[in-house]
Amino acid sequence: MSAEETLDLGLGLLDHQLVDREGRRCGNVDDLELEGFRDGEPRVAAILVGPPVWRGRGWLGRLAALITPGGTVRVPWAEVEKIDAAVHLRRTARELRLGRGDDRARKWVQWIPGS
Amino acid sequence: MTKVFQIALGILAAIGGFVDIGDLVFNVEAGATLGYQLLWVIVVGVVGIIVYSEMCGRVAAVSKRPVFDAIRERLGFGVGFGALVASQIVNLMTLAAEVGGVALALELLSGLSYRVLIVLGVSALGVVIWVTPFEWIERIFGYGGLALLVFVVAAIKLHPDWGEVARGFVPHGTSSDKLVYAYFAVGLLGAAMTPYEVYFYSSGVVEEGWTAKDLGLNRANAIIGYSLGGTLSLALMIGAAALYQPLGVEPAFIGTVALGAQVPLGTIGLLLALVGILFAVGGAAIDTCFSGAYNMAQFFGWEWGKQRRPAGAPRFTLAWIVLLVLALLVIMTGVDPVLVTEYAVIFSVVALPLTYIPILLVANDRAYMGRYVNGRVANVFGFVYLVVILLVSITAIPLMIVTHQGQG
Repeated sequence: MSAEETLDLGLGLLDHQLVDREGRRCGNVDDLELEGFRDGEPRVAAILVGPPVWRGRGWLGRLAALITPGGTVRVPWAEVEKIDAAVHLRRTARELRLGRGDDRARKWVQWIPGS
Repeated sequence: MTKVFQIALGILAAIGGFVDIGDLVFNVEAGATLGYQLLWVIVVGVVGIIVYSEMCGRVAAVSKRPVFDAIRERLGFGVGFGALVASQIVNLMTLAAEVGGVALALELLSGLSYRVLIVLGVSALGVVIWVTPFEWIERIFGYGGLALLVFVVAAIKLHPDWGEVARGFVPHGTSSDKLVYAYFAVGLLGAAMTPYEVYFYSSGVVEEGWTAKDLGLNRANAIIGYSLGGTLSLALMIGAAALYQPLGVEPAFIGTVALGAQVPLGTIGLLLALVGILFAVGGAAIDTCFSGAYNMAQFFGWEWGKQRRPAGAPRFTLAWIVLLVLALLVIMTGVDPVLVTEYAVIFSVVALPLTYIPILLVANDRAYMGRYVNGRVANVFGFVYLVVILLVSITAIPLMIVTHQGQG
């Protein structure tokens, strides 16, 4: 992204779709990790993904986190390639340990003929 | 040729989405109870769904976001999650009602037992979804549902009082119970503007990879498709008003709906009506089932899409399978599908603003839409309908309770 472009983190990044290098949808931006408040240059350090992260998203978020299994995945900001309708990542979901729920669920589906 | 096939997307969404079990139940009940008085509400509902589905389709084509992406991005996780839970409950109720409708239509066609047909019907739907490509599902159910046009012929053959019909298109004071009148008005709007239609439609637009180039087609789909659906709704109400209101019959069964074609047209009318109902309700069942899976996947960021292989979008696939099984279980308890339909429509009305507010916001956001943001016409209609939606959303449940679901 060019330096002049401004991005509203709340509306333009948070809750957006993550897409890996192969075009696979692999989670949403559930929260952001910010750093650099002390040196006066706050910036996004990482994208946080996963049910435990929802705890920071209001009481319905805490409720959702309570009933959904799964861990937190931290995607360093350097992995972000570009942002358009989705947040595109430089590597595959597997390399970033994203979309593991889909990988687990695949076992339940792929035995059916025609899957 | 592809253009023709693409318009089938609109026809499916129109017949399978517009005329579903909710429309069959509410249009016929309203006609039987109040005659032609509420025809104008159908027009209001049709214009409403045209306005919002055009908007949802445009947002999906230009910004590549289906409805539930927009909901989460705009409302955040918490409120978005609330919207997801509400819409999934309504989706499941609607799906159960449609499945019940499929079984009832099959029962009337075959004479086999209702419960056996629920299982057969659900299995058949599951197999159709599994083996049939997206665009074929559209065609099979879209064209099959066209058999419902028999109700247009039936309504004319029943020789309604056309002066009264014309008066029905103008809202006017009523001699009947005002609360019952209001209840049916709310129900008719809810049946016309069911949110699953826009979930399904907007996700389909993303699946088919539409872009700004397809906006003309999007508009044509919305206007032609839903107007056609609306004509069928009008015919259902006119027929019911002509046939049942003088007799004081209260249609509580799907069979009563089909009777509206049998009385003026005989066995062939009955057959066409049942086949049309079967396809329209079956198509709506598939739309609803997919809508539920789309919503979950989009909210949580899973891979989704019918155009991926089932193993390419496994949680999405499991989601629609689970929804179908849950609907089967609900309807197997023996609960009356017509009653489930009424609850589904009324509850969907309550959840309506949670769907339409974020769409209106996104459609006005240049960061998403560029030069395809809402124009003045879309905004005037959008905001007027937002007020209407908020009003019916607040009054729906109180009206259902005080009128005992329209029975006065």
